[in-house]
Amino acid sequence: MKFFKAVLTVILTIGLVYALNRPWGPVPALGPFLSPFTGFWQNGEKIYEPNEEIVLKLDSLREEVIIRFDDIGVPHIFAKNDFDLFYAQGYLTAKDRLWQMDIQTRAASGRLSEILGPATLEMDKNSRRLGMAYGAEVNIKIALSDPKSREALLGYSAGVNAFISQLSPKDYPVEYKLLGYKPELWKPINTMYMLEQMTLTLAGRSNDLNMSNVLKKYGNEVIKDLFPDYPMLQESPIIPVGTAWDFKPLPIPDDKHSESKDSVLLNEFSKPEMKPEGIGSNNWAISAEKSITGYPILANDPHLELTLPSIWYQVQLHSPDVNVYGVSLPGIPSVIIGFNQNVAWGVTNVDADVYDRYKITFKDTSQSSYWYDNQWKPARKREELIYIKGKAEPYREQVTYTHHGPVTKYNDELTGSVYLATKWIGHEPGNSFLTFYELNKAKDYDDYRNALAKYVGPAQNFVFADNGKNIAMTVNGKLPLKRKDQGKFLLDGSSPDDDWKGWIPADQNPFVKNPTRGFVSSANQSSTDPSYPYYINWIFAPAERGIRINERLEKMNSANADSLRILQNDNYNVLARTILPKLLSILETTPLNSTYKAAQQVLTEWNYQNSPEKIAPSIFEEWLPALRNAVWNDEFDSSEAPLAFPSRDRLLYMILKQPDAKWFDNVKTPKKETLADITISSFKAAVDTLNARHGAMSPSWQWSEVKDTEIRHLSRSLKPFNAPHLKLGGGTGIVNAITKRNGPSWRMVVELGPTPKAYGIFPGGQSGNPGSPYYLNLLEKWEKGELNELVYLSSPDQQNKRLTSRVILKKK
Amino acid sequence: MNFLIIFIVTAILQLFAPWWTVALIPFLIMLWRPLTPLHAFVTGFLAIALLWFFYGLYLHTSTTGAMSNRIAEIFSLPNGILLLVVTTIVGGIIGGLSGLSGYFLRKTVQ
Repeated sequence: MKFFKAVLTVILTIGLVYALNRPWGPVPALGPFLSPFTGFWQNGEKIYEPNEEIVLKLDSLREEVIIRFDDIGVPHIFAKNDFDLFYAQGYLTAKDRLWQMDIQTRAASGRLSEILGPATLEMDKNSRRLGMAYGAEVNIKIALSDPKSREALLGYSAGVNAFISQLSPKDYPVEYKLLGYKPELWKPINTMYMLEQMTLTLAGRSNDLNMSNVLKKYGNEVIKDLFPDYPMLQESPIIPVGTAWDFKPLPIPDDKHSESKDSVLLNEFSKPEMKPEGIGSNNWAISAEKSITGYPILANDPHLELTLPSIWYQVQLHSPDVNVYGVSLPGIPSVIIGFNQNVAWGVTNVDADVYDRYKITFKDTSQSSYWYDNQWKPARKREELIYIKGKAEPYREQVTYTHHGPVTKYNDELTGSVYLATKWIGHEPGNSFLTFYELNKAKDYDDYRNALAKYVGPAQNFVFADNGKNIAMTVNGKLPLKRKDQGKFLLDGSSPDDDWKGWIPADQNPFVKNPTRGFVSSANQSSTDPSYPYYINWIFAPAERGIRINERLEKMNSANADSLRILQNDNYNVLARTILPKLLSILETTPLNSTYKAAQQVLTEWNYQNSPEKIAPSIFEEWLPALRNAVWNDEFDSSEAPLAFPSRDRLLYMILKQPDAKWFDNVKTPKKETLADITISSFKAAVDTLNARHGAMSPSWQWSEVKDTEIRHLSRSLKPFNAPHLKLGGGTGIVNAITKRNGPSWRMVVELGPTPKAYGIFPGGQSGNPGSPYYLNLLEKWEKGELNELVYLSSPDQQNKRLTSRVILKKK
Repeated sequence: MNFLIIFIVTAILQLFAPWWTVALIPFLIMLWRPLTPLHAFVTGFLAIALLWFFYGLYLHTSTTGAMSNRIAEIFSLPNGILLLVVTTIVGGIIGGLSGLSGYFLRKTVQ
């Protein structure tokens, strides 16, 4: 009996410890997770103490580095050489954002399944098939062969690894504890993965297939009519109309394909490939004449999917030849958007056509050669291994590479197997890092232009201002030399005519310096008017944000930083101004019941401001998509193959200028609908939708409630790590471009001058740790549209009442 | 006395040794100094439970529950204090069972 009791209790104890020491499905191993000595309890952080001084002894540092933290948690790094500077940047970024760096690198390199299991296998396969790793490997060779980027990457890696090496399991960020894995050492190539990921986000898709489907179904006439190469109703291009193209252009490749000869109907994609609107950005700079300071003022707000940890990480980097402040991307050394003593710069996305699909014909199923230029050309193979959590054997796939790029096979009920190669700027060898490295140190306009020439992609509109009172905008990136509309549709992988024919020379990329209008601006709209000799893309983001920004800047005089901050928060709805009077005039022709009448009344009294408390934008933003769908769905919403939809500009043009167009008729009904019919029915449908979702008209119809912007944790599933409910205006096509999930991920305004004065904010905080006081400390100010003055120091011992602790890194 | 020994030794070991030392120390102490089965369980339970409770409480309050309240929500608990109660009980059961095992094992060789 004694023996039995002993065995029983020992087995029970061991069993319990075993059960608590291993994960069960999504539940982490509860023993180490709950223990206050090792578990999540350890992840609560405290604020930096003022006057605190910490000395850390670290490996491979060359000289002493001093770091000052300010009251919002931004590190100001003072180093004596590049290596130490980026070492400290890596160390501090890892301290605040280690898990974010890890998960984003894994997403880019197709290694999520290693930690998340089979659920992410498809995502990993897509990353591998797109050749993200291939692109990163090509680029790291170049980066490590250049002494400057080599020093930066090695310093940064050493710093990240110095941080990781001194962690014990209790110090791991809480996400590691929840998912039950360990941080791995950082490699220089991870920076390349981060750059690939940015290229994917900003230039990693196209509408080629959906456009080809339209071509196949409706033919060239409809393409010409509904999918024009420049907006028909309104546009205010980035490079002002009338800017001289002061160069002799290269010969444009012959247009041998006036009629695209090849097209497909593919139903592989369940949804359109188009980039969601709201991934874009604004930037502008006003000249010294327009500003009250006598120097230019520059503003930038990049719009991305808003996530936590915050996308950006603020940092000041100081060494004998640089003193730059701005935001960096965790995983990439240097500052991406910022300012120094002499210059300021910012970026918005160009959305150039740098992602083309080619139809490939293989000789046989081995895919060892493909038809090109009237002969079989050998293809290359690259083996991809994806390790999956919980499986002993990795998933293996041989990805075939043609000279265009990697090939993906699609099985289609209509056409059988289709092989498509992807020609993408993400595969192009280059050293885009150097552009940011040199901008960090830039002293004047020439430095800016030289830095930009080294950039590959994703193409950006680089706004610039300097103390020499120059302002400039360059539509910048390595842009392929193509014939007009090459890549609007699927291309023929067997024809040399369809290859990219080289590159637009960097100094012939569209740019403008000190225009007479006294400002430069960009908001992802058309880069230029149609007079620019080269093809960049046939469609860009809708024009409304650009139109509003340019109208406001045109009228702006004696402006200061706050004038630009107010413009960043501008909620004016140009789309409503353009189309709503016409729609309301149609609505007046029909009798409405009291519910609809009330909604009509609200719209009639609306001042076109998408303010958070207004009800009118909720109705309008529901109505316009309903109207769009009523116009196009009958012809373009196809279950057999996804079709591109005509642009918003084209729809507005049709409503305002072609009220009798045949497209207003719903071809699926015997009745012949008119513009008036569908305007009224879509209005009623929109009001009915709001009624169904939010009850009768009440404050629950307020725009901020209906839009319900949310900022989610990167895991997408850990809801308690999300931001709280926010009261926000703005929207699609609004300068203040906050949609449900996307918006200004950083707002910055810089007053140039002998001592630059800069302001900035992002939604979230410096720390990626949900248990840190710096996780969401900037959110409230961002929500209110306010900016923090940025602490810009010239020496580590400078007195500033906003400085808190001091950390000294010493060589071990 | 046994309580104090378990509490202090485990506290020190927990700073660097793995979490499961909380299942080892009560076992060893009760193997070494057994009294009664009830004493073995209760002492092991209380020593570990209180150790985890007080350290957890300190970490919770000194960071105003920034992390513990969020983790509680992930586990569908209303707040971090309740999660602390769960933590305390889990720790206590391990400590209690481990103490009891030590006691009974000692009794088989006596």
